[in-house]
Amino acid sequence: MAQITRYGSPIHTHGELPEVGSAAPDFRLVDADLNDVTLASFKGKKKLLSIVPSLDTPTCSLSTKKFNEAAAAYPNAVMLIVSADLPYAQKRFCAAEGTGQVVTLSMMRSRQFARDYGVLIVDGPTEGITARAIVVIDENDRVVHRELVPEIRQEPDYEAALTALK
Amino acid sequence: MADVLFKGTPSHTSGNLPKVGSQAPDFKLTAGDLSDVSLADFKGKKKLLSIVHSLDTGVCAASTQRFNDFARNRDDVVVLVVSCDLPFAQARFCTGEGIANVVTLSMMRDRQFAKDYGVLLTDSPLAGLTARATLVLDENNKVLYAQMGPELTVEPDYEPAFAALK
Repeated sequence: MAQITRYGSPIHTHGELPEVGSAAPDFRLVDADLNDVTLASFKGKKKLLSIVPSLDTPTCSLSTKKFNEAAAAYPNAVMLIVSADLPYAQKRFCAAEGTGQVVTLSMMRSRQFARDYGVLIVDGPTEGITARAIVVIDENDRVVHRELVPEIRQEPDYEAALTALK
Repeated sequence: MADVLFKGTPSHTSGNLPKVGSQAPDFKLTAGDLSDVSLADFKGKKKLLSIVHSLDTGVCAASTQRFNDFARNRDDVVVLVVSCDLPFAQARFCTGEGIANVVTLSMMRDRQFAKDYGVLLTDSPLAGLTARATLVLDENNKVLYAQMGPELTVEPDYEPAFAALK
């Protein structure tokens, strides 16, 4: 269990992010066309997982645009935006904001991903959705970088995440 | 278990709707301000529950408009629109569409409501979301009307629901 804050008040996550050096947990998430995808769907690529509470909130929107812009410079990487938003909301967001370089993935079927990656919030007003976090995974599905953003309203450390993706 | 169709493909729910004449199961859902609400929060009012799979889809949006119009002159009735959309998406939808006479409630924390009301879809591309259903409860939370839409992409039958509220 990890502690973060929301507007300064402490809230807690279900577990801990996967450790650097460990094998990234497999997952099953849902893409914009309601298909199930897993870690293996992105085999051979580096993966940047940007885990956000909701694309319908300002900070998540900002960070998604930022990773979308950066994507062109990382041809061997895929930017995965993971949230509890439904695929319909994610699709609407990407169409409205022109973020065609990222892949949005939804927890619409279950919160198993959030539990396995230790980001499920277990108390406070945002119980049931996720903390804000970055996990960078190499071509062999090893975790090479992680960040749990300490205050949920703040943006992640882009520099550190993109450096790990090089 | 109930059979419904999604674009003609058979799909199944986890259970059946509460029966007419029975006491409606209590629930814990999340309001637009991220607070938890239950049936008791609407004490003394008749309730129309419109259960939809996502407000970001056309049919759900159309039915919510229709119920919003109905609720305009009915102080004795509260219309509760329940979905798996996050509260952020529900709020965006209502603001964008000028919907102010219904209360949107989200299953962001879990799917217990969907299980208790028998509407959780267990297969098809919409697995994890809900079937489309309309329920009318009296002031004492007795079920007066309950209908599950046989095809997910078709609007509910409005008139019988309105008639049950006479």
